Amino acid sequence: MTSPRVPLTVIGGFLGAGKTTLLNHWLRQAQGRRIAVLVNDFGAINIDAELIASAAGDTIALTNGCVCCQIGDDLSAALIGVLKAPVPFDAVVIEASGVSDPWRIAQMGMADPGLSLDSVIVLVDASVAREQARDPLLADALERHLKAADLVVLNKTDLVDEPVLVQVRKWIAAVAGPTPQFETVQADVPQQLLGGHGLQLPPPGGCARGDAPHDAGRRAGYDHQHPHDHPHDHGEMFETWSCRPDALFSAERLRALLRSMPAGVLRLKGLLRTDTLDWAEIQFAGRHGSLRRTRAPVGGAAVVAIGLRTRLPVAALSDALDACQL
Amino acid sequence: MTITVYQARKIITMNPVQPEARFVAVRDGRVLAVGDLDRMKAWGHFELDTRFADKVLMPGLVEGHCHLKEGGMWALPYLGWFDRRDPKGKLWTGLRAMDAVVARLREIDLQMSAAGKPAEEPLIGWGFDPIYFGGERMTVEHLDLASATRPIVIAHANGHLMNVNSPMLRLAGITRDTEIEGVMRFANGEPNGELQEPAAMFPVVRQVGGAGLLAPMDDAGMQGFAAIARLQGVTTATDLVNKLSEADCAVLERACADENYSVRILPAFQAFHGTHGAAQGAEHVGALMARNTDRLRYGLVKMMLDGSIQGFSARLRWPGYFNGAPNGIWVTAPAQYEADFETYHRAGLIVHTHTNGDEASEVAINAIERVLARSPRPDHRHTLQHGQMIDAPLFRRMAAQGLCANLFTNHIWYWGDQHYEMTMGPDRASRIDACRTALDNGVALAIHSDAPVTPLGPLFTAWCAVNRVTPSGRVLGEGDRITVAEALRAITLGAAWTLKLDHEIGSIECGKRADFCVLDDDPLTAAPMALKDIGIWGTVLSGRLFPAKFG
Repeated sequence: MTSPRVPLTVIGGFLGAGKTTLLNHWLRQAQGRRIAVLVNDFGAINIDAELIASAAGDTIALTNGCVCCQIGDDLSAALIGVLKAPVPFDAVVIEASGVSDPWRIAQMGMADPGLSLDSVIVLVDASVAREQARDPLLADALERHLKAADLVVLNKTDLVDEPVLVQVRKWIAAVAGPTPQFETVQADVPQQLLGGHGLQLPPPGGCARGDAPHDAGRRAGYDHQHPHDHPHDHGEMFETWSCRPDALFSAERLRALLRSMPAGVLRLKGLLRTDTLDWAEIQFAGRHGSLRRTRAPVGGAAVVAIGLRTRLPVAALSDALDACQL
Repeated sequence: MTITVYQARKIITMNPVQPEARFVAVRDGRVLAVGDLDRMKAWGHFELDTRFADKVLMPGLVEGHCHLKEGGMWALPYLGWFDRRDPKGKLWTGLRAMDAVVARLREIDLQMSAAGKPAEEPLIGWGFDPIYFGGERMTVEHLDLASATRPIVIAHANGHLMNVNSPMLRLAGITRDTEIEGVMRFANGEPNGELQEPAAMFPVVRQVGGAGLLAPMDDAGMQGFAAIARLQGVTTATDLVNKLSEADCAVLERACADENYSVRILPAFQAFHGTHGAAQGAEHVGALMARNTDRLRYGLVKMMLDGSIQGFSARLRWPGYFNGAPNGIWVTAPAQYEADFETYHRAGLIVHTHTNGDEASEVAINAIERVLARSPRPDHRHTLQHGQMIDAPLFRRMAAQGLCANLFTNHIWYWGDQHYEMTMGPDRASRIDACRTALDNGVALAIHSDAPVTPLGPLFTAWCAVNRVTPSGRVLGEGDRITVAEALRAITLGAAWTLKLDHEIGSIECGKRADFCVLDDDPLTAAPMALKDIGIWGTVLSGRLFPAKFG
C-alpha cells in the first residue's frame, strides 16, 4: 500500500463572501494538524505577525506547522509544490478564485493518487446573494458553484433581516437541493464541518450516540479581531453516531448509499470490510462520497457520522448500513 | 555620420501624403529622407546601397498579439493539422490522420532511444487538435502503437486537453477507479487516454513536471523567436502575457541587449489571477519602464476576461453557443476587472484585454466606459484583443471611447468552419473578426496571429482579413473583407497605434526608426489570394540588416 492520501478541501465563493476570513480562522485553529492552505494571493490573508515563522517568495510558514502558499497563475504548480514537502501535510485547502469553479479544482483531489477529496465548501454573502442571483453575468457561475458544494456557508446573516434570509435560503435550496446549509457571521464555521478530522472513530465496542467533541482548542487559542456574541457553542450544536460493524459489506451497496445518503448526515467516515475491495475507507461530506481500498485497520471496523443536534437520522442511517451488509 | 541610401523597386511608405517612393536614406538607425534621388542628395554625401533595387520595401511588420513561446516550442515534436515551419527552417508537415500522428511519434521515440534517452523519459508533443478529425478521437490504442513502454503525452492545441498512452496512465496512477469527469473512457470503463481539463491532467503534469510546454522561456527560445520573426518580416512584436519576474526579465534583457537581436519586444505584464495585486503590479511595470531600450519596451499590461470560443469557454451573449453548449467562464470576475483596470489606467499604463466572446467584449466596454467617466485620460490606447464577436453597435461605442481593436483574423482560416458549424452558427460566424465594420465605425484596427496558437506571419494574417476564406472553401462574410492596403496598414501603423508607438514605427518617413520588411514582390499589385505567398528577404531593424535565415 502507498502512503495515505492527503485530504483536499476546496473553498469557493465570490469575492467578499468570506473565504479569506474562513481560512484565517482555520489556520489559527489547526490544533496540531499541519495544513497547507493555497490562496490566490497574500494581499488579503493578513496573517498575524506572531504566527509567522518564516516567509519566502510564495510561501509563508506558520509557527504551528501550517503553511500558506500563493497560487499565482498556476494552481497545478502550487499544488505540486506542497505535495513535494518532505513531511506530508495532514490536509490541503485550496481557495478557489472568486469566479472559478470549485468543482474543477475539487476533481484534482479525485484524480491524483496522492490526494482524496474531502469536501467543497461554498460561501455565500447573504447581503448580496439576491442581487448576484439576478445578475445575468454572474448567476450561472454562482449556480455552478452551489451545485458542486458539500456545504453552503451562508455568511453575513447579521446584515439582512429574516424575510430576506428566508428568500436566500429558499433560493440556495432551489439551486443546490438538499446540500447542508450553515448560517453564520464573520465566516465562523465549526471545525466539525470543515474537515473529516473533526470525526474521531469510536473506541472498540458497539454503536453509540453522543455529543460531538467540544472544540476546546479552538476556543482557547483564538480571539476574534472584532468580538461578537456567539449565538451558541459549536460543540453543542452537533451530535455524532458511531458503530463498529464486524459484518462483510457489499461495496456496490455502499456506493449506492453514498449516492443517496439519508438527509441530515453532514459527514460520515469509516473503515469497513467489503466483498470486492477488502478493507475500504468510506467517506462522505454533504453531497460527495468515496469508497476506496485501504490497509487493514488496527482497531477493526468503525463508522462515525455527524449531524446537527436532533437532525441526525440515526435510525435511517443504521438501517441503511445494515442493508449494505452481505 | 554615415548616410546609407537604399534603392528599391518600390517603397510602400504607409504615409498617406507620400504613399510611394524609390529611395530611402538612413542615418543613426532612423529614416532621414524618403523620395527620389534629389531628396537624398540634399543631405550631402551618402552611400548608395542597391541590394534592394529589385525588392519592395514596406515598414517592418508589427505583431500586436503574439507570444515568445512561438520560438520556444520546437524542441518538442509538432503534431498539428496544418504545415508549420520551425526556426531552423524545417517544415513540419500537417498530420491529417491518426496513423500519421502515430508514425511521427514512433519516429521520435526511436530517435530518443538512439540518442540514449532512457525508456522512462516521457515523449511530449504539441499542436494536436481533434476538432479537425470529424468524430474520430485519439486513444491509447493509437498511442500505444507509437510506444508501449515510453510514456507519451500529447498536448492539444487548445491547452485544455491531452492524450496519453498506457505507460503514462500507469505512471500517473489513472485507472478505471479514477472517478472524475475529465477521464474519458472506453465502453468497458477503462480510461482511453484522453484527459480533459486541469484536474484530469494534473496527475500527468505532476509526473512530467516542468518539462516541455510548461518550461519557462529561455535564451534558445528568444533566438528561435527572432529567427521566425525575420522569416516573416516582423520587426516589432509583443509577448502578450509575461509575469515579468526577475528571471523573465533577465531572459528578455539578455537577448535584447545584443544589437544583433533582430526584433523589438514589448512584453505585457500578466495582470490577472489574484485579487490584490493591481497596485503592486502597476508599480512594478512602472519601475521596469526605466530599463527600456530600443529593442525592449516594458509598459503594456494584459488582462483577461473570458476563455476561447472553440473551447466553449468564451462568454457569449444571446443566443449563446450554436451547439447548445453552456456559456463559458470568467477568467476574471467583471467587478474585479473594472477595479484592476482602473488601477492600471490611473497609473498611466496601456491595458490590452483578452475578450473572445461578445458578452466579454461588452463587459469590458461597459467597465471601461465607467472608468473613463471617473478618470478621463485622453489618448489612452487601451485595446480589446481578439474581439472576435464584436458587432457594429459595440464598435461604435469603442470608437466613442477611443478603444482600439486587435482582431484575431487567423481564426477565419483556422477555425472558421468550426465556428460556422459548431460554435457560433452561420450568422455570427459570418461577422467574425469584423474588420470592415470596425474601420467603417471609426475604430483603430490591428490584426494578429496569437502565435503560437496560430503561426506568426502578418502577411498571412492580412490575407485572412482580405479574403475571409476557410479550408472548406467558404467565404465567411464577404462584406467584412478589407482591402489589401487596409490590411497592410493594420499590420504596420495600425498595430503600432495600439502599442502607442506610431510616432516611432509603422511607416517610412523622416524621423521614424529605419524598420523595413523587405519583400520580393509588391503586395498592392499582387492578386489578393497571393498575399500570403509573397517572398520575404528579411528585415531591417533600426537600420541594421537581418536577412531571413534560419536560426
